[in-house]
Amino acid sequence: MLYKVCRLYCFSADDRQDLFQEIVIQLWRSYPRFRGESKFSTWLYRIALNTAISNLRKQRIRPSPLDVNEMPTPLQDMSYPGEEEEQLQQLYAAIDRLSEIEKALVMLYLEDRSYEEMEEILGINQNNLRVKMNRIREKLRKMTKEATYGIR
Amino acid sequence: MELDSLKYAWRTLASRPVPENSPGQIRALLQQRSKGPVAKMRRNLVGELLLILVTYTPAILFYFLEFDGKLSGIAWLFILLVIILAVYFHRKSRLLNAMQCAEFDICSSLRQQVDTLKRYIRFYVRAGTVMIPVMAILSWLIIRWKFPRMPGADLFYRISGSPWWQHPLIWLAMLIPVTVGVYFLNVWYVGRLYGQHIRKLQDLLREMEEV
Repeated sequence: MLYKVCRLYCFSADDRQDLFQEIVIQLWRSYPRFRGESKFSTWLYRIALNTAISNLRKQRIRPSPLDVNEMPTPLQDMSYPGEEEEQLQQLYAAIDRLSEIEKALVMLYLEDRSYEEMEEILGINQNNLRVKMNRIREKLRKMTKEATYGIR
Repeated sequence: MELDSLKYAWRTLASRPVPENSPGQIRALLQQRSKGPVAKMRRNLVGELLLILVTYTPAILFYFLEFDGKLSGIAWLFILLVIILAVYFHRKSRLLNAMQCAEFDICSSLRQQVDTLKRYIRFYVRAGTVMIPVMAILSWLIIRWKFPRMPGADLFYRISGSPWWQHPLIWLAMLIPVTVGVYFLNVWYVGRLYGQHIRKLQDLLREMEEV
């Protein structure tokens, strides 16, 4: 899970390594205060996403936000057969253009977290979350159209 | 691109082998310096504290030991300043601790970070500004207390024949513009240091709160 957060929020390997280190440090510091009031996974997501979102620094290399196909993928080092790989590349390229909060929402959604748990992690009420998720879906559709047909 | 159709592709990531971190590697990670903004602010604070100690300690010793102790008042002035600065550093350190709240939900955590950072900045500006007149007044008192009235030191004593209010007025006329100038300098400096970070946090918070 930590690797996924690092991949979502950082483009270069160095940035990912820095963020991973920061999350591990925060987990280490916060663990003595973990009282089991929430699920361990909820606590873990909170620490990882909080660290990723609030520790934002200037990224070492930024991809161009204009053309999804031109973007170097953060998955260059991974090899997946055919369509699956393409889908993942598209997913990462599209997610990279979302805001930090939207990235967190998408990740939790893809991780199959319930809206109740998403509310616990993000602190946004469920109705609001649903509205935001619909907007993100729409945004991703639009981005794909732009990338495929050059429609703006 | 349909988000739901990507769930399967996303799940394959979970089954992908990730680099194993041995306890030794984790320990090594924990021993490295954190690059987070709060950790950097804390390191800056420790640096400031060390700089104060390194510069003030020899000065305090010098004024206590030299001149047969006649200028020990200046050494006490420095000690008083160190005490004021210790309170200042303690307060800053507590605010930095409050800023590290990663276990809250993200919205509360952002809100707390923004509030604490604002309080930190306010304290930084106020304390940095107030220190100027406080130091000037203390220096003035020490000089009047320790040094006899001498020609050329009229600034510190009432000039004979002049009305009683003229002397404090001259001091006020000097202190007010300097203090105001230092205030704006501090505002500019903290803006440069933390302005971008606080704006980013506020934007994130706004995005979370908007419906």
